[in-house]
Amino acid sequence: MLDFLRIAVRGLLHRKKRSWLTIIGILIGITSVVALVSLGTSMQLAVRRSFEELGYDVMMILPGELGGGFGGPASLGASFEIDADALSEVEGVGEIGLMSYESLYVRAGENEGFLDTLGVSENIFSFFKVEMVAGRGFSPGERGAVVLGVEVAKELNLDVGDTLEIEDRPFAVVGIYSADSRLDEDAILIPLPDMQALLGTQGVSMVFVRAAPGYEVGKVATRLEEFLYESRGRRDLSVQTMEEVHEVVQRALGILGAFLGGIAGIALLVGGIGVMNTMYTAVLERTREIGVMKAVGARNSQIMLVFLLESGLMGLVGGAMGTGIGALLNFAAVTAAKAVLGARVLEYGISWWLVLGALGFSFLVGAFAGLLPARSAAKLDPVRALRYE
Amino acid sequence: MRNETIVELVDVWKVYRMGRRRRIEVEALRGVDLRVPRGEFLAVMGPSGSGKSTLLHIMGCLDRPTEGKVLFEGRDVSRLRPVALARIRNRRVGFVFQSFNLSPTLTALGNVELPMVFAGVPRRKRLARARELLARVGLRERERHLPSELSGGEQQRVAIARALANSPDLLLADEPTGNLDTETGRGVLSLLSEANGEGVTVAVVTHDPEVAAAAARKLRIRDGRIVGDDDA
Repeated sequence: MLDFLRIAVRGLLHRKKRSWLTIIGILIGITSVVALVSLGTSMQLAVRRSFEELGYDVMMILPGELGGGFGGPASLGASFEIDADALSEVEGVGEIGLMSYESLYVRAGENEGFLDTLGVSENIFSFFKVEMVAGRGFSPGERGAVVLGVEVAKELNLDVGDTLEIEDRPFAVVGIYSADSRLDEDAILIPLPDMQALLGTQGVSMVFVRAAPGYEVGKVATRLEEFLYESRGRRDLSVQTMEEVHEVVQRALGILGAFLGGIAGIALLVGGIGVMNTMYTAVLERTREIGVMKAVGARNSQIMLVFLLESGLMGLVGGAMGTGIGALLNFAAVTAAKAVLGARVLEYGISWWLVLGALGFSFLVGAFAGLLPARSAAKLDPVRALRYE
Repeated sequence: MRNETIVELVDVWKVYRMGRRRRIEVEALRGVDLRVPRGEFLAVMGPSGSGKSTLLHIMGCLDRPTEGKVLFEGRDVSRLRPVALARIRNRRVGFVFQSFNLSPTLTALGNVELPMVFAGVPRRKRLARARELLARVGLRERERHLPSELSGGEQQRVAIARALANSPDLLLADEPTGNLDTETGRGVLSLLSEANGEGVTVAVVTHDPEVAAAAARKLRIRDGRIVGDDDA
């Protein structure tokens, strides 16, 4: 086998320029496969990390029926009223966090406009492990206070101790939270009662429930759903575990990844056809040599092996370089995304199985593309091949 | 005991179908009977297109007859499968061609090694044998050279070394001196004679009177038939 490999390498080196051009074809294919697949992985990993940080023991109560696909609840963001105290009586329910969302008119000095505002229960800060850059979160029963995301604070040029107006009511800035927090760094947080007063409702848009220690999330979710149905008499709210949400998001990302991979596959296919073309040319060019190999006693299978090794090697070399470049691209993309868009958008997505898979696959593409040319080489009639000019 | 006839042809016909739809039939051999005893030095002569090369190819199991029998060391090989024929060519036969036909990608050493690679000889043994053969044809110093870096005579000597790699019983040469000047041709001829002296049966297709003179038996062939045989 090693001897045949040596013969194959000799053959490749003999037509260096053409071998390299062919290898570049494979290289581009594998680069795009690795770059795009790892990008998909990067997104999935980032999403998974986000969910893991929040914890899989968390459930969300959302308005509307949750469909199967990734459409999600039909009326996400709609407001609903809920008795949090009654909810906490359900077996297995631990901490409960309430959130109400609205885009509100905000004014701070020269700056004014509609900004995303969240009315939150004061335990949201611990619930989401919000990291404060300055100041503090809300104390129980506090009103007229506001906590800003670091980006918003920068944009509005506000610091702890300053005041801003939301819907013409004054709020004092008591804290600023970091961009690394689970909450959107562009948000403005005010106490839930203030939000409800501004909107003139008793409603919330989302309830976060953590399962009490020792309880299984899925079972608690089912119990909660039953409780909500019994207490409200209709199924207008759905309970979603983070696992379910994660699954829906992963499925969407999976489809995206498959789509990207498909596009990359086309590039690889073109590379494979390049290999086939080169190998056919090589077979034609070396017809006489094949005749000689047969004359000195090479079996058809041995000649086939030489040519398959040649095409497989081209695939493998292109694949190795493509994998390297693809990995670099992923590294560059993730690094750039972290710098520009914030820490949580992407994670490094190169894994061992991707590297090994890409290498194995590129060898297979090369060998497969070489299959027909190698077969035609092996089946040459030795006498004709020897006469070939 | 080894068979004393190395190869025997019995009423061998070879018909090539050529042209579009393979409608044109060319009869390269028309009923050839030939017995080659072990150890013989045979020269095959005749005008071009008379079927000399075809005869050589069939003797060396490179080609199969359309009709008739070919007995190689007493065994009928005319209907053997390609893989079995390849094995015979590899172990029993050595070919030398007019245009040398060395692999341009391999060094002199690599070319001599080639038949042993296909035979599965271990590398160490193979290298030793290839170097010994190159030394024998006077090219020990040039083992690292590619064919393109060798003269015609040197290439043909490498080709002879390659043909002898697996210690064949039968050495077949198709106009081995055809592309060489007289002096270089003599060197090649003496290598063939030397091999014959060691017991290898040699058959040479040639136009070269010097080569023919060296052969113990001369065969004349015309239009696919043997028209003259010293032995007959």
